[in-house]
Amino acid sequence: MSEGAPAPAATLRRAMSLRTAVSTSTGLAFAALQYLAAAGLVAYVAGDSAWISIGVAGLLALMAWAFFGELNGMFPTAAAIRRYMSGAMDDRVALTITFTYLSTIVLVVAADAFIVSAALTHVLHAPGWLTAVWTLALLAVAVLSNLRGVKVAGWLQDVATSIVLAATLVVSVVALARSGTALRTPFQPVHHHSGAGFLESVALGIFLYSAFEWVTTNAEEVRDPKHIHRAMLIAVAVLFAVCAAMTTAMSHVLTHAQLITAYPQLALGQKAFGAAGIWIMAAVTTVTALNTFNGGFITASRFVYATAREGSLPPLLARLNDRAVPWVPVLLLGTTSFAVSVVVEVVGGSGWQVLVAVGAALEGMIYAVAAFCVLRLRGRVPDHHRPFRVPIVRVVAIAGLVVFSVLALVASVSVNNRFSPVPLVIILAMGAASAAYTVTVVPKLQAAEAARRAARPTRRRPRRPPGTAGPDPGAIPPPVP
Amino acid sequence: MATADEIAEAYADWQVRCNGNARLARMLRGWDRTVHLMATDTGDGFTIAVSGSVLADLRHGLVDRPDLVVSATSEDFADLFWGDLNPSEKYVSGEIVLAGSSEDVMRLDAMSMVAFLDQ
Repeated sequence: MSEGAPAPAATLRRAMSLRTAVSTSTGLAFAALQYLAAAGLVAYVAGDSAWISIGVAGLLALMAWAFFGELNGMFPTAAAIRRYMSGAMDDRVALTITFTYLSTIVLVVAADAFIVSAALTHVLHAPGWLTAVWTLALLAVAVLSNLRGVKVAGWLQDVATSIVLAATLVVSVVALARSGTALRTPFQPVHHHSGAGFLESVALGIFLYSAFEWVTTNAEEVRDPKHIHRAMLIAVAVLFAVCAAMTTAMSHVLTHAQLITAYPQLALGQKAFGAAGIWIMAAVTTVTALNTFNGGFITASRFVYATAREGSLPPLLARLNDRAVPWVPVLLLGTTSFAVSVVVEVVGGSGWQVLVAVGAALEGMIYAVAAFCVLRLRGRVPDHHRPFRVPIVRVVAIAGLVVFSVLALVASVSVNNRFSPVPLVIILAMGAASAAYTVTVVPKLQAAEAARRAARPTRRRPRRPPGTAGPDPGAIPPPVP
Repeated sequence: MATADEIAEAYADWQVRCNGNARLARMLRGWDRTVHLMATDTGDGFTIAVSGSVLADLRHGLVDRPDLVVSATSEDFADLFWGDLNPSEKYVSGEIVLAGSSEDVMRLDAMSMVAFLDQ
């Protein structure tokens, strides 16, 4: 049996179905922020052709799907990202990238809390300052639910994701149908725009698929290991259909003023179903938070917990409450997300567009890292079990590495079709902080952990010499089956 | 390689620690699960049942449908039950392989952490 080959499959009493894996993958990607990213994408290309950018981004997402498919097949575990990155590069570099990438979850949770709150404020005609109160309330509910160990059941997640996607698709198609005019430039993405603008729109389009790969952290829960691979593929196809329809509809029926608000989806709902459409899309926007908060909080807090248990983060972050929930990471995630969302609100204007750009750039970065890991591990562990292999790996992985690196760079210096180094500065600052932490603090933590273990006497009795396994006269008899 | 007897001895010690820990009893409230242990080097299988916050005796063989399956070497199982290894570290390095929900994995890790570190 080659290295990493799976053990004989056991039939688990509770296991995740393909349907739930699909809804997890799609639901994690389809956050409220996607509505704003879709509206923002329109600025870079001739509006009716925005679906082409999303299609190209979808093809690139398929490339990423192939990378994550191979890596997840090699390491079907929630700790996969640590395993394949540690195997492909220096562990300090791997930790730095992982910590930086983890910040995407904070940004998405913060942005979603702000967007849902802004939509609620708008639809209720409430004063602007209430947005911060809604945000605080939403995050407080998310934090408290997590601390109490509440996890959205698989069937509820399936229903929530289906409602969000179906409603968005129907609203988009109806809005287009009721606009009464034919598409103007459905096949001319660079009409009155530049090639660079198209490239930037593809970079932003990548963000519409971002986080579909987070479902790989559920690899240990699925009924069939192939479910994760298939679920990601189906999710990319579904995301393309919904995002292409939504972006095209937004570009066709909304004004520039409506597109640059924090709630373009409400205006789209109004175009489709009048006042009722606003309420429909407000409700749909709120439901997206269910997936984002559930998935985001659980993924991030458990990852932080595992890293702390491993000895790479302070032991305080591995403390559990009486419901076995790592309460410190959950509280930290909630407060950091609230702080970021308040900053976005105070900054106003393009604040959330900066978050979209940072998220798009980080997603491009992690896809490039995945390409690198696939290539490097093929060389380092050629005999490792690989249920799925990227075809013509040298060409595809190198192409992925280059393309995703360029797109990450492009996304990091552009906000709302204007050059802006702010996203890049934020990413570099986060990366520098992660690197400084990894280089200076992690070795001390690991030394302290090693000292603690050394000070603790081994409890196990002396081992037998190798090859002498067998009955021991002094052993306690085994329990009766 | 650790024999089945050695694993049973280690488990018995762990069982006493876990069942005598009031905090762990609160943590395991409502968490009634069947856990299969698969020793990858010896081929031995064991079953642990948790019911009413109490760990039952270790059973040889794989009994009932599991909620969680843990695969590791027999040495790692013995060391784990004696509290001589950090299961999270072994998990991240791929030496311990799990199948089951993330919530169940968290509870199992909590058992070893609270039983030995009282965190």
